Amino acid sequence: MIHVQALDKSYGTVHAVRNLSFDVPAGELFCFLGPNGAGKTTTIKMLTGLLRPDRGVIRIGGYDIATDPVAAKTLMGYIPDMPFLYEKLTPVEFLKFIADLYNIKEASTRRRIDDSLQSFGLGEARTSLIGDLSHGMRQRLLYIATFLHNPRVVFIDEPLIGLDPHSIRMIKDLLRQKVRDGMTILLTTHILALAEEIADRIGIISNGSLIALGHMNELRAQAGLEGRLEDIFLKLTTDEAGLSSPGGARRMTAPNI
Amino acid sequence: MPPLTALWIKDSRAMSNLRRILRQESVFKLIFILAFAMGLMGGFFVLFLDAFRFLSGLGGVSFLITRRLFSFFYLGLGGMLALSNIVTTYSTLFRSRETSFLLTAPVDIRSLVTYKYLESTLLSSWAFLFLIIPFTAAYTWHEHLGLLFAVWTAAFALPFVLLCGGIGTLLALVAVRWAPRGRLFRWLAVACLLAIAIRPLLQFRPVSLQDQASFVLNRLLPGLQAASHPMAPNQWTAEGILSLTGGEYARGAMFWLTLVGNMLLLSLAIQWLGTRTFFSAWQRVTGEGSATRRPPELLGWLEPALRFLPHDIRGMILKDIRAFLRDPLQWSQALIFFGLLAIYFGSFRTFRYDELPDIWRNLIVFLNIFSVASVICSLASRFVFPQLSLEGHSFWILGLAPTGMRRILMTKFLLAATAILLVSTTLMALATWMLQVGPGLKAISIGVAITISISVSALSTGLGAIFLDLKQPNPVAIISGFGGTMNLALSLGLMLASIIPLASSGIGTFKAESRTTPLSRGTSRPQSGFCSSP
Repeated sequence: MIHVQALDKSYGTVHAVRNLSFDVPAGELFCFLGPNGAGKTTTIKMLTGLLRPDRGVIRIGGYDIATDPVAAKTLMGYIPDMPFLYEKLTPVEFLKFIADLYNIKEASTRRRIDDSLQSFGLGEARTSLIGDLSHGMRQRLLYIATFLHNPRVVFIDEPLIGLDPHSIRMIKDLLRQKVRDGMTILLTTHILALAEEIADRIGIISNGSLIALGHMNELRAQAGLEGRLEDIFLKLTTDEAGLSSPGGARRMTAPNI
Repeated sequence: MPPLTALWIKDSRAMSNLRRILRQESVFKLIFILAFAMGLMGGFFVLFLDAFRFLSGLGGVSFLITRRLFSFFYLGLGGMLALSNIVTTYSTLFRSRETSFLLTAPVDIRSLVTYKYLESTLLSSWAFLFLIIPFTAAYTWHEHLGLLFAVWTAAFALPFVLLCGGIGTLLALVAVRWAPRGRLFRWLAVACLLAIAIRPLLQFRPVSLQDQASFVLNRLLPGLQAASHPMAPNQWTAEGILSLTGGEYARGAMFWLTLVGNMLLLSLAIQWLGTRTFFSAWQRVTGEGSATRRPPELLGWLEPALRFLPHDIRGMILKDIRAFLRDPLQWSQALIFFGLLAIYFGSFRTFRYDELPDIWRNLIVFLNIFSVASVICSLASRFVFPQLSLEGHSFWILGLAPTGMRRILMTKFLLAATAILLVSTTLMALATWMLQVGPGLKAISIGVAITISISVSALSTGLGAIFLDLKQPNPVAIISGFGGTMNLALSLGLMLASIIPLASSGIGTFKAESRTTPLSRGTSRPQSGFCSSP
């Protein structure tokens, strides 16, 4: 469903993504991990058509994002880490706008909007302006909007920012349910426990290159560690950054500030 | 549903919500803003009416001047629209977070560019409306015309606004896509702007005068004639409106169709260019932050120079200057401001005001005090009033710092007052030098500029703190709210209260003496030499 081949992106002299290739089949939840500045957000922006790669091919559901962007975008949804919402619209109006953009049939729109707002706990907020909603409510609204047109592929950059424990549980269950229904989800996060809990496969990127890819067992084998994802991640990314010491992976200590 | 239709429906819903919000606002707020808007338009109406009456007083030549003045007026409005739309297109198309959002939705580039072109033109055209309505009303009143004149003006105004706004959008698309980057180009651009600004100051062509009337008209008409080029949209608009008003329907329709045809052609050009270049241009803008290598400190030399200030005040001043210089939306608007001022000062030498008799020159000095004071009020409203609100989500840093709110406010005031004093005293010194006024009047003019700069900076800083809006990142939205409107109204009121007592004596003397000057006598009859000139 997501096909990435030999992707390259530079900003001036900074090489953000180098020769990145991977595939994500339909019905998989793929977690994309990496340290700050590793190239995760650049990759996700290229996958969603916001950035043009210097080299390489991206196909979403078979459509090339560079040559057939509108068809590819019809199939996908995107939740960025700092989302944009129309402050002067009510949640219902915003969702109707999304329905218009994605050409969802008028008859089913109203019912789906009502059901979604109720199930996400936003029934009471339907007449408020989005600008007056709390951060968590806006985040939930964004999930409703993203899933409204039943996308086949969803990209999520940091899915749990600003959510309370109830909402986090709801989102995790929702994502798993959607994947069971055949949706493909690619998400990036720094919460390694979340990735370990919900991902089918994990890719780790460091300095713009994919340094590990596979299920948890495959990652353990690659790192030569039998621990949790946190240990594996730290081992792999520290080795890649050339920070390893003769005694093993160098541990970062609390800075003296 | 086509994306443009969906976006239009979204905007109409947002507008209806805005009406709902307005109904919930306090009645006093709404009445105040409405009264201010009406007062402003009323003021323009009186000014325009006075100008038309003055032109009528010139006798037979007034017909010729009025026709060209119409063209000149639309040239000014068109230039203002195009300039304003360059900045607005840059912010709404390239810097808006909505663009990123729409680019991840199935919205094609053609629809996106068209939508943003219309949106930015609408946002840029409010000043046009504020001027065209009183202008039309004054001319209708003066010439005893019917409602049809307003109808013809409206019919021409829409394509004219879209055409001039489109020129701005097209220039913004080209500039963002192809303008070279780098320090050398930036310095070259600044040098070009300075050269354009300084050129009129250096030019001096002596003219031989027959009498004052022919002097003024001979200086005025070539300028007006330059604005009446037959290939210019402002000329089509002016001629079209006047033709239709005069009953020449076929001629008027020809001008209207020419205007509409060119507007549609320009819209196609925007769509064509936008479809081909927007995405690359957008990549350039969004990627530049990561690609640009900046020095770790901007204006590092300034820090030692400000050592005499307490550390917290120095820190805040340096932070504000750096943030301003790194925000293209802020400094580009300041640049346009100063560009328009350069044109204004250039006109002193172009129209040879310095060679007029003392009585006229003194009047122009008073009008100049009024102009510079208006510039001070506009600068304070645009840049000083929102400065505290623009701290936005990072306000907590100042709030938690071991420095009092009084010091924060004082720092904002000191910085604003220093910047505005620099601008206003330079402007006033330049203007009085160009008009070659005596030392007494020069001292009064500069004194007024200093007084108004300090008081308006204090007023804007204080009201900015009272009407604090930390949620709004857009300075234009901050100044167009109730607090911003009140600040502008009070600043203008303060300015008028300072100037009117000073100016009224001068204007009274002018009115009394001008009745006997050769200009008023000389121009009240057609002059053969002048009328035969183009």
